[in-house]
Amino acid sequence: MSSNQLTLAPAPPSEAAERVRLEVREFLAQELAAGTFSTHVDTWLSGVDPEFSRKLGARGWLGMTWPKEYGGHERTAMERYAVTEELLAAGAPVAAHWIADRQSGPNLLRYGTEAQRKEILPRIAAGECYFVIGMSEPDSGSDLASIRTRGTRNADGDFVVNGAKVWTSNAHHSHYGIVLVRTGPPGEGPRGKHQGLTQLLVDLSLPGISINPIRILDGGHHFNEVVFDDVVVPGDMLLGTEGAGWHQVTAELAFERSGPERFLSTWPLLAEFGRRAAATGDPAQLAVLGRLSSRALALRQLSLRIAAALDRGELPDIPAALVKDMGTTFEQDVVDEVRRVVDVPASLDSPDPLGRALAESQLHAPGYTLRGGTNEILKGIVARGLGLR
Amino acid sequence: MASDQDLVVETVREILTGHEPFVLTAERPWDEGLWSALAEAGLTGVGLPEEAGGSGGELADAVAIVRTLASGAAAVPVAEQLLVAGPALVAADLDLPSPEEPLTVAVDGTVSAEPSDDGDGPGRFVLTGTATDVPWAGVAKHVAVLAAAPPGIEGAVLAVVDVSGLAASSAVNLAGEPRGSLVLDGVGVPGALLTPAQAAHVRARYALTRAVQISAALEQVLAWTVQYAGERQQFGRPLGKFQAIQMELAQMAGEVTSTTALVDAAVQALGRGEATVALAAAAAKVRAGEAVERVAKLAHQVHGAIGFTQEYRLHHLTRRCWSWRDEAGTELAWSRLLGEALVAAGPDDVWPAVTAVV
Repeated sequence: MSSNQLTLAPAPPSEAAERVRLEVREFLAQELAAGTFSTHVDTWLSGVDPEFSRKLGARGWLGMTWPKEYGGHERTAMERYAVTEELLAAGAPVAAHWIADRQSGPNLLRYGTEAQRKEILPRIAAGECYFVIGMSEPDSGSDLASIRTRGTRNADGDFVVNGAKVWTSNAHHSHYGIVLVRTGPPGEGPRGKHQGLTQLLVDLSLPGISINPIRILDGGHHFNEVVFDDVVVPGDMLLGTEGAGWHQVTAELAFERSGPERFLSTWPLLAEFGRRAAATGDPAQLAVLGRLSSRALALRQLSLRIAAALDRGELPDIPAALVKDMGTTFEQDVVDEVRRVVDVPASLDSPDPLGRALAESQLHAPGYTLRGGTNEILKGIVARGLGLR
Repeated sequence: MASDQDLVVETVREILTGHEPFVLTAERPWDEGLWSALAEAGLTGVGLPEEAGGSGGELADAVAIVRTLASGAAAVPVAEQLLVAGPALVAADLDLPSPEEPLTVAVDGTVSAEPSDDGDGPGRFVLTGTATDVPWAGVAKHVAVLAAAPPGIEGAVLAVVDVSGLAASSAVNLAGEPRGSLVLDGVGVPGALLTPAQAAHVRARYALTRAVQISAALEQVLAWTVQYAGERQQFGRPLGKFQAIQMELAQMAGEVTSTTALVDAAVQALGRGEATVALAAAAAKVRAGEAVERVAKLAHQVHGAIGFTQEYRLHHLTRRCWSWRDEAGTELAWSRLLGEALVAAGPDDVWPAVTAVV
């Protein structure tokens, strides 16, 4: 078929991954029993708990695939996959470190200077240093290359940054942002605006930065608007190559779009539903559990294939777009399918944990298919993989 | 599939070029010429051990053959023979009929088995009842029948029936493939007692086989649809240049890629002989069936009216997929079985149960 760009080799079974999976499961059972966290849906956005992140760092479960000289543990992407999957399935509070561990760290490893890596990566791996993604802007969502935040070199060679970034998850708890700015003019032609973009490593405590909350539907404060007003970013905080920001962002997306958080955001709801189906023995509920699980199993296989490809040193951005499109659709469908076969109203105040899980999942649901690239943008990338663009 | 199978795929494709799919009828219910060509090339015994009369080779080879034939809408009982009935007979230590004669499988109906006293010693049973929904009934020369065990004995009896002299009813599936019934009226046959787990394994193999066929067929449907969208011009440009069509094709690709990933994983679990293969097969069958729903619908939508005609090729695969998803156990049956198994370990352990499937 013409979709070779979409198809990856099957992931070989990994005994190491299954070993660490059981270690994480045991750790989570202990933490749950000790009451250090309670299960919620979508905790990689909403579950900020620096103490929990530091515990994961101490166990060697952050920066897992990075070189030891940068605080990493030189383990495989398959092992990291197992760890992240277990944390998400349990609804554990992983939001503080999530972006840093998932994509900012790998981005620094790939494009950062030696000084940047030495300074920052060990702190991420320890669960102490958190990042935000500085891509979207008030007037630039899907059309990312149209951003207007500017970085202008001053006489000292530093970048003076002006503009605003939005949807920056947990900026109010984070230390750095990797901020995409325009440093040069766009080129000619339809893809010309991909030129002149640059990624900067920005310390969020710099003067001139203000962080304003943007509340989501359930009133939760996770998103922010980050405003840059003549912020002087030192020249040595350039990330990678000036003008190569578009290329670097694209590479980052293979990490951002392919992980299990793209289909497990509502797993805690499905787990609660499983408890209900077990208790009632209702054949209709059991069938829905089976059907949704079969979709999750297929998504796991796709996501595992990408983890294996990352281990081979590939950057499968097109398959990653496909997984995210399919996976986030699944996250939403879980809510719809479950509510059709349970007689439980969704409410955050429900005495029934299933009612609360339905409510949390529903109120977060619009975000699943928007964040990290809308499903329309993702399908466009898949169409490119099919040779249609 | 892995490149080790490239040669066998190439061989099957070459044979297929001389055998285009056709509309199956009562007069011509299968492609006998294609079967002969495949048998002559030794392809109807692949994956079955040489000492049992097969051609040897790996499960992956047999799967590659079945996939290639499925994507070519080949009207031959190779999937049933290579992936279900053949391996089931070998596993039960029953004699394999000659691979050159088509062998099929029957798991549904009212057939029960009693130990025979025909004097030919143990391993003989008398089968009574009707085997229903038998793939290639009236075409296959032998049927591996999964029959109810004698009263008081757990499990089932797997028996080999030579269908000479037995009448098959003329039922067909949505694609016209024979799916008739066979009436067994006290037929004495060789057989073996299977444990419940072994009997479940036969059913799982059958379900996984249909999932394999569906995943291969849907890959072809996607490829045809992408090709068509690139060629068909409307409003002065190819359909594939319209965003609305691109979204539909991308959705099809997502379904197809997801299905293939899970089916491949289930096949590998089968190859490794894992105990959870029945659940992997259940999940693969359910996922494949769900993919048929969306992919076939969108493929017809993109093809427009021409795809709705009998003269155009699309229906050879979409009608098969609409049938295969219901065969070897419906999606509802397999979804329930999977759901029940996932809560069996305890209400708090659904996630560990899921990760243990594949």
